[in-house]
Amino acid sequence: MCGGTPKTANGTGGQIERARNNSSVPLGNNLSCTQLDERIRKSLRDESVSCANKVTRLLQNSWSSSEFDLNEIRLIVYQDCERRGRQVLFDSKAVRKIDEAVVQKMAEEASIKTSARNCQASNGNNISSHSPSISCMQNMKEQIPKYQYTRPASDVNMLGEMMFGSVAMSYKGSTLKIHYIRSPPQLMISKVFSARVGSFSGSNNNLQDSFEYINQDPSLGKLSSNQNGLGTCRSGSNLAHSTPVDMPSRGQNEDRDSGIARSASLSSLLVTPFPSPSSSSSSSSSYQRRWLRSQTTSLENGIIPRWSTEEMFSMADESCSSNPAMVRRKKIAISIIFSLPEKEEAQRNFQDFFFSHFPLFESHMNKLKYAIEKAMISCRKIAESSQRVQVYISRVMDALGEFRVTIWNLYSVPRIAEPVWLNMMSSTLEKNQLCQRFLKEFTFLIEQINKNQFFAALLTAVLTYHLAWVPTVMPVDHPPIKAFSEKRTSQSVNMLAKSHPYNPLWAQLGDLYGAIGSPVRLTRTVIVGKRKELVQRLLYVLTYFIRCSELQENQLTWSEKAGEGEQVLNGSKITTALEKGEVEESDYVVVTVKNEPALVPPILPPKNDGSKNNSTAEWVCEPESTQAVPVSSKEKSETIGKDSQTSETSVDCLTSNFCKGAADGRKRTVTDTGIISYHSEESSKLEDVMDVKKSKNQNERKVEKQFSSRSSALPCPERSGHRSSHLEKVTFQIGSSASPESDLETHRREMEENLNTLIKNPEVIHCASSSTNLTVDASQKQEDGCEAAFTPISKHNVCYAQIPPCEEKESILNQHMESKGAEVNLINSISSELLLPTNNIETVKLTNMKENRTLCSGNLENCSSDCVEAHSAVKQDSPKVCAKDVPYGDSGRKTSFRVEGDIPRNESSDSALGASDEEGDCCIPDEVHHNISKRLEEFAEVELPLPRSNTISSQCVKNFGRSLLGGYCHTYIPDLVLHGINNDEKLKQYLLADLFHAMHHPVLDEPIAEAVCIIADTDKWNVQVATSQRKMMDGVKLGKDVLVSSQVSSLLQSILQLYKLNVPADFCIMHLEDRLQEMYLKSKMLSEYLRGHTRVHVKELGIVLGIESNDLPLLAAIASTHSPYVAQILL
Amino acid sequence: MNAIVALCHFCELHGPRTLFCTEVLHSPLPQGAGSGDVPGQNEPAEEEEGGIQMSSRIRSHSPAEGASADSSSPGPKKSDMCEGCRSLAGGHPGYVSHDKETSIKYVSHQHPNHPQLFSIVRQACVRSLSCEVCPGREGPIFFGDEQHGFVFSHTFFIKDSLARGFQRWYSIITIMMDRIYLINSWPFLLGKIRGIIDELQGKALKVFEAEQFGCPQRAQRMNTAFTPFLHQRNGNAARSLTSLTNDENLWACLHTSFAWLLKACGSRLTEKLLEGAPTEDTLVQMEKLADLKEESEGWDGSEEEEKPSSQPDVVEGQELSKSSPETSLMPDCNSWNVAHRRLSVFRSLRHMRQVLGASAFRMLAWHVLMGNQVIWKAQDMDLVQSAFDVLRTMLPIGCVRVIPYSDQYEEAYRCNFLGLSPHVQIPPHILASEFAVLVEVRAATRSSLYPTLFDDEQSLNKYEFVVTSGSPVAADRVGPTILNKIEAALTNQNLSVDVVDQCLVCLKEEWMNKVKVLFKFTKVDSRPKEDTQKLLSILGAAEEDNVKLLKFWMTGLSKTYKSHLMSTVRSPTSSESRN
Repeated sequence: MCGGTPKTANGTGGQIERARNNSSVPLGNNLSCTQLDERIRKSLRDESVSCANKVTRLLQNSWSSSEFDLNEIRLIVYQDCERRGRQVLFDSKAVRKIDEAVVQKMAEEASIKTSARNCQASNGNNISSHSPSISCMQNMKEQIPKYQYTRPASDVNMLGEMMFGSVAMSYKGSTLKIHYIRSPPQLMISKVFSARVGSFSGSNNNLQDSFEYINQDPSLGKLSSNQNGLGTCRSGSNLAHSTPVDMPSRGQNEDRDSGIARSASLSSLLVTPFPSPSSSSSSSSSYQRRWLRSQTTSLENGIIPRWSTEEMFSMADESCSSNPAMVRRKKIAISIIFSLPEKEEAQRNFQDFFFSHFPLFESHMNKLKYAIEKAMISCRKIAESSQRVQVYISRVMDALGEFRVTIWNLYSVPRIAEPVWLNMMSSTLEKNQLCQRFLKEFTFLIEQINKNQFFAALLTAVLTYHLAWVPTVMPVDHPPIKAFSEKRTSQSVNMLAKSHPYNPLWAQLGDLYGAIGSPVRLTRTVIVGKRKELVQRLLYVLTYFIRCSELQENQLTWSEKAGEGEQVLNGSKITTALEKGEVEESDYVVVTVKNEPALVPPILPPKNDGSKNNSTAEWVCEPESTQAVPVSSKEKSETIGKDSQTSETSVDCLTSNFCKGAADGRKRTVTDTGIISYHSEESSKLEDVMDVKKSKNQNERKVEKQFSSRSSALPCPERSGHRSSHLEKVTFQIGSSASPESDLETHRREMEENLNTLIKNPEVIHCASSSTNLTVDASQKQEDGCEAAFTPISKHNVCYAQIPPCEEKESILNQHMESKGAEVNLINSISSELLLPTNNIETVKLTNMKENRTLCSGNLENCSSDCVEAHSAVKQDSPKVCAKDVPYGDSGRKTSFRVEGDIPRNESSDSALGASDEEGDCCIPDEVHHNISKRLEEFAEVELPLPRSNTISSQCVKNFGRSLLGGYCHTYIPDLVLHGINNDEKLKQYLLADLFHAMHHPVLDEPIAEAVCIIADTDKWNVQVATSQRKMMDGVKLGKDVLVSSQVSSLLQSILQLYKLNVPADFCIMHLEDRLQEMYLKSKMLSEYLRGHTRVHVKELGIVLGIESNDLPLLAAIASTHSPYVAQILL
Repeated sequence: MNAIVALCHFCELHGPRTLFCTEVLHSPLPQGAGSGDVPGQNEPAEEEEGGIQMSSRIRSHSPAEGASADSSSPGPKKSDMCEGCRSLAGGHPGYVSHDKETSIKYVSHQHPNHPQLFSIVRQACVRSLSCEVCPGREGPIFFGDEQHGFVFSHTFFIKDSLARGFQRWYSIITIMMDRIYLINSWPFLLGKIRGIIDELQGKALKVFEAEQFGCPQRAQRMNTAFTPFLHQRNGNAARSLTSLTNDENLWACLHTSFAWLLKACGSRLTEKLLEGAPTEDTLVQMEKLADLKEESEGWDGSEEEEKPSSQPDVVEGQELSKSSPETSLMPDCNSWNVAHRRLSVFRSLRHMRQVLGASAFRMLAWHVLMGNQVIWKAQDMDLVQSAFDVLRTMLPIGCVRVIPYSDQYEEAYRCNFLGLSPHVQIPPHILASEFAVLVEVRAATRSSLYPTLFDDEQSLNKYEFVVTSGSPVAADRVGPTILNKIEAALTNQNLSVDVVDQCLVCLKEEWMNKVKVLFKFTKVDSRPKEDTQKLLSILGAAEEDNVKLLKFWMTGLSKTYKSHLMSTVRSPTSSESRN
């Protein structure tokens, strides 16, 4: 990767230069151009070319960083002090770097020879920063002002408001905020801390003044214009007034305005043990982690503060005793502002990255905060004011530079394009190839670089610390018999995700870091080596062993989908377009999903009708409300009468009717159907929202006429007619009609509602409506063929009745295909309803339905009129069926799923939510009324069914599994779970601090015990484990050498031998998994052994259990994922 | 999703107010936790006909009690509320939606009933509308802390022809304790909530325009410029959102929409998490159960269709019935465990080894592991049964065929464990065979045979065990590796029975893994003998006994596994595939 100097415009302090520029180490892919954008573009190209033949293809990144400008990351530090009000303590936008030449000159003037030379060496227009190697000269340089602090930008007051809020909060801990600023597009993340102020004495106070000096002293602006910076500074210090810092406290309770005191019940909640879920062996640790997370972040029983984060901003040395009285009176806000690219796509990309990777951003922000604290404290010791400011500014700028580079690295780092484990999990097609490729690499490494046990040591360490592989080999206890003996998706975890949703991104992050054992350890692995190809091979192979779950993105939709084979889904229009890639050579497909309406129309119980004009009384359920349904026609009362009959009879009627309908379909004319449905639609179309009631009677009369004249043979025609009008009213009420959209949109909605009146299944609408244009055409054609006066609006008719004259048209066939989904669904809804009343006739009806469906689909192919008739039959029946009494209960709904399961779609229809539409549409039997009123007495909520849902799933690429497995990077990057670097210089410099930081500010949002880094050096052939718990051993070693487990080496050997014996790759991998499972079983044995022992007799383990002492760390770590007590004994 | 979604309003008379609030109630226990495979469960999730039952703790916060305790509820007093501050009318029970599939309930009220949640929401509402500053006043903000929860808030205006500035200020907030989850969901929430807001604003705009058309407020206000707030005091000041949008079902609609939002956000990302393959023992057991089921179904329905090998099957059924009590085909088997505990039985391999003596046990175990027929001749059926129960633990389940007690000799292909009554004649060639071992249980001639060991085991003292075979195992014979390990484990008294059990599991799986490779190699790929020899040495099983053992154990592989290996596309010859 391009090492580098991101664009450091001459302007506002873009200083990100770091020590690596001094290193002469050849960087892989190093590109010399300094322009960021160009560089990245080029590196993309280079990457693809240079890696094409390589074993490990490195994906440049999932996130295009071309639009991301480092200098657009802005830092603001603000202080809110009771006494002094708000002050900007730092604004990177107000910092300007003084021309290097000037610095140079001053340096020379100050006759610091060495410094001068080094300054020259540090390249370009960057300002060098702290680095141990140049620290001596750093001191010299700090003497010289490199920065000029101008006035803070004009927006800084507004930003301050945003950070602190307009009302002071009394909360002592830190507060996190994220703002989106529309123009120019910016994302601001800020944290407000209470300041811990030490009890100062003497000169320390001056810090405060220095800040004020920064803020207020206009003379500072002249500093740079005056070539003699030092002189000016001195004079500036004279201007600075010195005042005592803190007044005595005004008392503690002053600003407890909005805090919520922790109640006693809260702490008792803490003690309450959670119901522990299954401790069954299969994937218990993964499961347990997720379950606990969902419980500890639950809101149901009030909140449970998980860990006290009395995170403060420390403004004094730790040696200074903090004065609690002063604590709450001063707040420090640190805010980072990302300027977003103007281009929408790039902006979305960065936002996606930012929000999905937020824990990492936050972690770096904490690091930055720490550096700012340090800068403030250390500069305090400098007596001379202007110098103090310079030190402060340059320190903070250094930290900011580091932050910028880290973020940029994180965003743009090369990633492993094909993490083996994840790819094997997701793609089934090329699995064999994947296996072969992996095994080839794997065995190559075993053969080539395991002479000194290097590879075995590395793998031992990885298996010991990146523990997420363990749940993937834990044998399941109860596999379904038909399933093959391979790994399967964990059902228990799936269930958990449904019933107790947790954050899969978080879970994945923990898996990757191996943080599933006990005690919780957070692990990263770094491969060091000059031989890029070798390092890449290692990285590639390790992605098989460093495991995590694969993420899927699900789009839930509530409206029905259209037919198959087209891109209109669930009322969301998905358009795909091939666009020319900007950066890459290739094209890419842009998929746009237009979402369905965000307001989900509720399915209301009909009792609401009575109280239509009284919004506050809608819940009142009185007997007369049913009567009050604003339909006064004769049929109405008839219907009600019928409804109150026993369900059996009506069911019988319906069933027979239904069957008859299906059978008689041939005889019936399609036009007939069309008209019946059409009339109600037409009338409703004409109606205004408010006029529904008025025209209802008319409408119904019409329908009645229709029925009496045309379809008197139908047993329950009135009901269907009545029903549709009744329905129509209900749906209108719901209010989606008052849509704010354009006329077209409104029009569309009206159509939907019309459709709704007919099918009574509101979900069908959207799919139907989505094919408007096509259907309009078709229906136009229909007008000739059919007598009925079809208008474009009567989409529903089109769906079902359009077919008869269609002998010729291909397009109609297509269209019919489109509407198939809807039809099928209609059928399903019918079937489910049919099934509802009684269980004993289920099967009969099911078969009916099935027959019908097969009939439909079979006929679809040749588009015969049979098909149409069948559909029309279905359709005609549907209103009647809908009119059936449907009890509130959901018994029998399961069956409807089964039918639906036949739909060849990636959908999960949850019956419980759906299907219940009938509740809103049907007259409620007395019994139910009774239930409701009974429940009302108990103040039970009004039940509103959720609409049936469909799920469109797609693989989610932008997750940690794809982003934290890095490739061969130009520099050490602390966040990556896995990556390779050229040399360990940077590692040595930063590792320990990073580990400490990782432990104290865990990205997992839960306490961890230890942060670990596995370092495998392919140049020195050693594998070490560095940890936050031990000090670095000495200057040479980063950590402790790894003990090679004999389990692992024998595993490696046998895989290699099998491979050499030409055992097929996929089988070798199966064997590999079996061997890993053996390790798991051994760990079970070990934990069982340890249960009774406080001391481990290694000899016993060896002879009897086949566990050697070098296996102990590995097996104990594995055991810690299922038996936490092991750690207490062994570790 | 563990979140609360709420609609808040900044009332010009009363300040920030929570209008409507949708909570999620999960079942107290995870789904599937109550199912049979989890014996450790304190109690299974109460599944009832109407859906899930919340635990009492949750129920106590449920609106049922909250509403009845209306006066003491933490909500603002009625007098402090105007139309604009109110969503559901007083006494309205709120809304609920059940998601049966996930056992999640979504409930909506004006305020949460749980007092702590009430303040959480209240605090979030206040912060959203009067503390946090959003540029342009309309837009998304995230804020929060560990103590008060984390909030995603989106503020917006609703047109109102009667309001000051012709608009009113609202916000939709989402509250979670899992801040990372909430922040991860930002883009999703922003999109959906923005959509809801757009629609609300659209509705209100229509009403606004209609009202303006009918009675232009601006003009009117111009005329009454000197009494600017007069109309507000007239009672128009606070209009409900329902009237502003002219949607009387607004709250029901919002409930559905919020519930939907919570559901969609909670299922936005799902994990595919793999778990390990079942062990061979598990697979075989499942297969046997399935066979058994099929068979019993067959018996139920039709005439007894006699299968030639029915007897061993039945026997297997009996065995299974012990491991899975629900198929109680042989109740005596179960009762035996309980009732005859103190009778003369073997309790463990270690126990048996102590009783038989090390060398006799070794011979017996050797035959067991090799798949030779093990015949016990004894009067006491229970004793034989217990012996087989103990011995079979050395073998994979698939290798075990037991006829616990028979009145005639059964051939070795039918059973490798055969119990016989003492008078049954065993064919002489069997007795002379090296592929069979006989254990005769006789009444002890001297009761002091094992005096020291079994003070507490009076019952076994009365027996004498004679182990014979056609070809006794030579004492110096190394034997299969697994036998030596088993013996070592049994010898070491430091290891508890549980450790030994785990040890057996490990050993068996380890060797089954070798068996799998051998099967693949010889049966599926039909590789030449020299290769097989190489393979065996790779597996560390080149010795004669180990090879024998592997061959026998191969018969115990599950059908599932075998058919999978057979059916997977034979990979192209390796030389092609690897270059």
